[in-house]
Amino acid sequence: MIPSMAPAPADQAETTTAAAAPARNAGRAAITKLSGHRLFASPGAVAGLVWLAALVTASVTAPLWLPFKTEDQDFTAVLSGPTAAHWLGTDELGRDILSRIFAAAAGTLGTSMLTVIVGVGLGTILAMLAAGAGGRAEGVISRVTEVMMSLPGTVIILAVIGAVGTNIPVVMAILGILMSAGIYRVILGQAKSLQSQLYVDAAKVDGASPLRISLRHVLPGLANTIVVQAALIFAVGMLIQAGLAFIGFGPPIPQPSWGGMIQGASQHVYDAPWMMVPTGAVLALTVLSANAIGNALGKAPNAAAPHLPSTAARRQRAKAVAAIAAAPVHVTKDGAPDGETAVGTLSVRNLSVGVDSPGAGNGVRLVTDVSLDVEQGTVLGLVGESGCGKTMTALSLLGLLPSGVSVTGGQILWNGRNLAATTDKDMEAVRGREIALISQEPMRALDPMFTVGYQLTATIRRLRGMGKGEARKEALSLLEKVGIVDAAQILKTYPHQISGGMAQRVAIALALSGNPKLLVADEPTTALDVTVQAEILSLLRALVKDTGMSVVMVTHDLGVVADICDQVAVMYAGQVVENGRTAAILDSPRHPYTLALLAADPHANHADSMPERLATISGQVPQPKDWPAGCRFAARCQFAGSACLEPVPLLPSGAGEGLVRCVKADQLAVEGMDWLATDVPASRLLEITPKQTLLTEKDMA
Amino acid sequence: MALFITKRLLMALATVLVVAVLAFLLVHAMPGSPGAVSLGAGASQEAIDAVNQRMGWNDPLFAQFCTWLGSAIQGDLGISLIDGRSVSADLASRLPVTASLAAGATILSAVLGIGLGVTAAVRGGALDQAIGGFVGLLVALPAFWVGVLFVYLFAVQSSIFPATGYVPFEVSPQDWALSLALPVITLAVGGAAFIARQTRASMLEALQQEHIRTLRATATPTWKILYVHALRYASLPIVAGIALQFIGLFGGSVIAEQLFAMPGLGQAVQTSVSTHDAPAVQGVVVIATVVVVAVNLVLELATKFLDPKLRAS
Amino acid sequence: MSTAVTQLPGPAPATTVPMLEVKDLVVRYGRGRRAATAPAAVDGVSFSIAPGETVGLVGESGSGKSTIGKAILGLQKVSGGTISYQGWEITSATATQRRDLGAELRAVFQDPNSSLNPRNTIGTSLAEPLRLRGIAAAEARVKAEDMLERVGLPREAVDRYPSQFSGGQRQRISVARALICDPWLVVCDEAVSALDLSTQAQVLNLLADLRDERGLSYLFIAHDIAVVQFLAQRVVVLYRGQVMESGPAAAVTENPQHPFTQALVAASPVPRPAEQAVRREARESLGVRTGAAAVPAPGGCPFRLRCPLATELCATERPALRRIGAADVACHYA
Repeated sequence: MIPSMAPAPADQAETTTAAAAPARNAGRAAITKLSGHRLFASPGAVAGLVWLAALVTASVTAPLWLPFKTEDQDFTAVLSGPTAAHWLGTDELGRDILSRIFAAAAGTLGTSMLTVIVGVGLGTILAMLAAGAGGRAEGVISRVTEVMMSLPGTVIILAVIGAVGTNIPVVMAILGILMSAGIYRVILGQAKSLQSQLYVDAAKVDGASPLRISLRHVLPGLANTIVVQAALIFAVGMLIQAGLAFIGFGPPIPQPSWGGMIQGASQHVYDAPWMMVPTGAVLALTVLSANAIGNALGKAPNAAAPHLPSTAARRQRAKAVAAIAAAPVHVTKDGAPDGETAVGTLSVRNLSVGVDSPGAGNGVRLVTDVSLDVEQGTVLGLVGESGCGKTMTALSLLGLLPSGVSVTGGQILWNGRNLAATTDKDMEAVRGREIALISQEPMRALDPMFTVGYQLTATIRRLRGMGKGEARKEALSLLEKVGIVDAAQILKTYPHQISGGMAQRVAIALALSGNPKLLVADEPTTALDVTVQAEILSLLRALVKDTGMSVVMVTHDLGVVADICDQVAVMYAGQVVENGRTAAILDSPRHPYTLALLAADPHANHADSMPERLATISGQVPQPKDWPAGCRFAARCQFAGSACLEPVPLLPSGAGEGLVRCVKADQLAVEGMDWLATDVPASRLLEITPKQTLLTEKDMA
Repeated sequence: MALFITKRLLMALATVLVVAVLAFLLVHAMPGSPGAVSLGAGASQEAIDAVNQRMGWNDPLFAQFCTWLGSAIQGDLGISLIDGRSVSADLASRLPVTASLAAGATILSAVLGIGLGVTAAVRGGALDQAIGGFVGLLVALPAFWVGVLFVYLFAVQSSIFPATGYVPFEVSPQDWALSLALPVITLAVGGAAFIARQTRASMLEALQQEHIRTLRATATPTWKILYVHALRYASLPIVAGIALQFIGLFGGSVIAEQLFAMPGLGQAVQTSVSTHDAPAVQGVVVIATVVVVAVNLVLELATKFLDPKLRAS
Repeated sequence: MSTAVTQLPGPAPATTVPMLEVKDLVVRYGRGRRAATAPAAVDGVSFSIAPGETVGLVGESGSGKSTIGKAILGLQKVSGGTISYQGWEITSATATQRRDLGAELRAVFQDPNSSLNPRNTIGTSLAEPLRLRGIAAAEARVKAEDMLERVGLPREAVDRYPSQFSGGQRQRISVARALICDPWLVVCDEAVSALDLSTQAQVLNLLADLRDERGLSYLFIAHDIAVVQFLAQRVVVLYRGQVMESGPAAAVTENPQHPFTQALVAASPVPRPAEQAVRREARESLGVRTGAAAVPAPGGCPFRLRCPLATELCATERPALRRIGAADVACHYA
């Protein structure tokens, strides 16, 4: 067969995220800069490079070492298998197959390269033009390439051969033109995403010309994709060329070609099947090499984790769960004793979450030793900056941690059952029916392929065992309950047809469809406008009051905490640093981190008393692998002293039932110190750390 | 939607027209005038000129094209320079062969490819790697080489299938199926690998979508998440990939038809190009384009229909 | 100050010419017939920025605030109205004119991940605007190092890549890049929205310091009224592409007159539970209808479907801005 004119998809197409988050050890040449390490990390690609290099060297130097000329006929050994004289055997005329393979190699590789240059070059130029110009120009170019892609390319190539004869370079160049349409489509997407990067806007503001922007900001970002496409097109070009030679449109006789040799061999498949092997193997190996290089370069560096792990990953997870279940329960003094908790009460005890490590040892910890209590009908806020482990903590309550992350210790006690030691299968009885989830981006939380009505009724039928008609009625009443007026209309819509606020209401209705006792809300209002946020918070408050369910509310917004939470746990670097009643903590914070967050929040000030400078926290949240043994906030704390180098337990904070993880809390409370709004010296601000090298909360959530 | 279909139909017509013009120009660039080709090497210059005159070879190109287009619209693609038969009739008898080949190979590669791709994405781990390696090998193997291998294995070593030849469906459905088996499998090998890759990538992308987590949070059974929701999300690029495969396979049948001696369109292109039979080449290019564009149109409409965003607007 | 200004009227602080004047700006998306019929993303917006002044542009998603910023920066085609920089009309400035302007009118964008080219070193990124103005590489590098130091990063950072910095640090670098040409006016488009509280405060402080140091003018675009309140002297509140209210920051945020501004201010939660409970009550008693309400037909007041004060008049007649107290308010009934 002649392969499709469309470029084969690489294993994973280069994505925008890959373009935005490049390799760290960026170096000199464009390719090394982007993906050299990916190339050399793949054994297949290295083998492919070696093979291609060897083939080219051998082919170019062929006249120097080949034992036979391509047309030398050895009538003593016609159709022979491998022998000492003819390592790969001979054909029907007694010609040495090894010699012919290598004699044909240079031409095959060279003309395939011509397809690559024409196809990838044209495709790239068109894509950059279209992405840069946009609008009408892009429309026209795209239409033309669509037409080109819907042509029977092979037939057209044959017609071209009819017109120009078997002039292989010309034919391969025209093939390149035909294939440029597919390449254009691949590159256009990326070029457009690069054009929409803010640094391109910044360059436009600088007054950089479109050409300069294309060359300096777009082309370097495309380099990797271009190389990937080149490798894949090279392989396709070789296959097509061989295919043409196979049906008799190869280079003029007596010039050998791989396709022609296989054609010759196919005539003798009855009497000399061996002849098929060497040429076929060399061709396949060469194609395989090019593909391996392309796929290695094209592999997205850190693809997002699937939300439904593969069977293999689930098996892994089950092992981790079994280990948790088997582990002896270790309860520290601030934890409640194991076992009985009141119905509708959630008790998290010494929960730890970590990245799965491939070896036996422990992977990076993301959450350590977190204990929380949520009583029925109350709202607990989990508050902190990004990367502090609050989302991981919340997702572990539902057993929905992303692939590659699992609970490594502790208990999640719900109605007397340890959810941390519950299998995924058994968690299905808990999810939706007892504990439900709403998340940050309502649009993405709903399935874009199904109507709101289908998603809602299917869930209601499943969770409540209702019939179709009954479920529909229930869906309508749920939508009304979450404040949607034209519920019947909304049932018929697809998620993309409704606004973000409306989608969050639908997502809440979906979460309520199993009458859950606990709602885990992961930043449910962060993506919404502030007036819509207020409405959603009011709705949640009303639902808590009406249904008596409890809520775990993950947020970074202290105002949201003040608005809706009864209790709050402030998290920092995977730990709870302070918890207790919301009013107590926000009005008189005990932990310096809480103190600092409040001082840095412009919402905490009135316009008439707006300070000249806001308080800041120097530096940044440390990466999980850099967590110190002592107080994790010490490096950024204005009050840190030598006592902070020791591990700090959660201690009663003095006021009420709250706990605080600071050895100086009492001293600070007595002295009434404020977090000051001074900038620390510049030298302390920069701790250059490679970002995002490990799984962090942001990547996975 | 109606506007969309109309636009696409016009695009398809334009495509065919552009190809017709291109083919016409290409055919005119072929070496040898119609007279020289049809009368063979020994003909006198006068005889050649007479034939050329009769066929309008010396008319302006545009006039020739209009004449050709006029009769083509009425279903007459001219007569072959070599055997004097009607090109339309010849191609009409060949079309079912290639259509069965391409359709069979597309269906087989879709079934195999989606199966392999979904399995790789869903099962993960070692099985995913094994399928990945296998598919990588299939992509790299030249189809004609695989075809010869199949002939050797199934026709030479064991006579399960006939090595060559085509039996029309009307003659014997069973023999028809048997005669198609090897070429279809040969063509489907590469196609299945292509679709498997596309499917795996699309499935993985679908499983990374956040709504999958919502489905899990509402206790949706795993099979339903995978085969109702994720596969539905992944279906758009998969169907688009199948459409591309069909185009590729329709052209790719040239080799299968040569290898297995099938009297299809591919064989017609191959022989007419070799013999410089201009009307035949032009006819087959246009017919192949019409078929491919039509099927592509249907598949594209199907893809669009799968996308609620487009269907709703 | 500016290095290669050829046609500009020159620095004009302390004159009556505003730093920036936007008059009746209209922006429609799409092209051809579709653009003519599409509802305007920005619909007759006027405001001006005095030298040394910071004006905050506040609104929710779809209010057109970022579109206005883009139009000023020449990143978005304008359908009507004028934009003047120091008295010089730049509404449809040519590329060459933009290049001259590029040193004086600069921008800081929202997303620290995408506002620096990940493939270029910090030094290359910082030097780019200088190099475009013909400044030698060595001199540009020294300037880049000076500027990095000013925003609180070490000079060595010039040789590093954006991926080696945190979001807050990258946003400081973006600020450095905006200020390296000694501009007069900086458009900050949601410049701190993507940052965590503590780093947000760092960047806000930096912007305030630099303004005081250099007498800069800012157009500070944000959805968070409290952030705007910290930096801006005057605030312009937008809703669906139209100005609802504009006036001194304290007046607009503490004593809003327009029903939408009232709703916006009331909806912004404060981190003091007792006070927030009172504010919540107050907000719920405002009677503003849900934001998910249907899109209003063109003409009239865009807020009327949510507004507790709306009457038939609001559907037929677009309210003009009128002075109430210290602010201009576009409401028939405020």
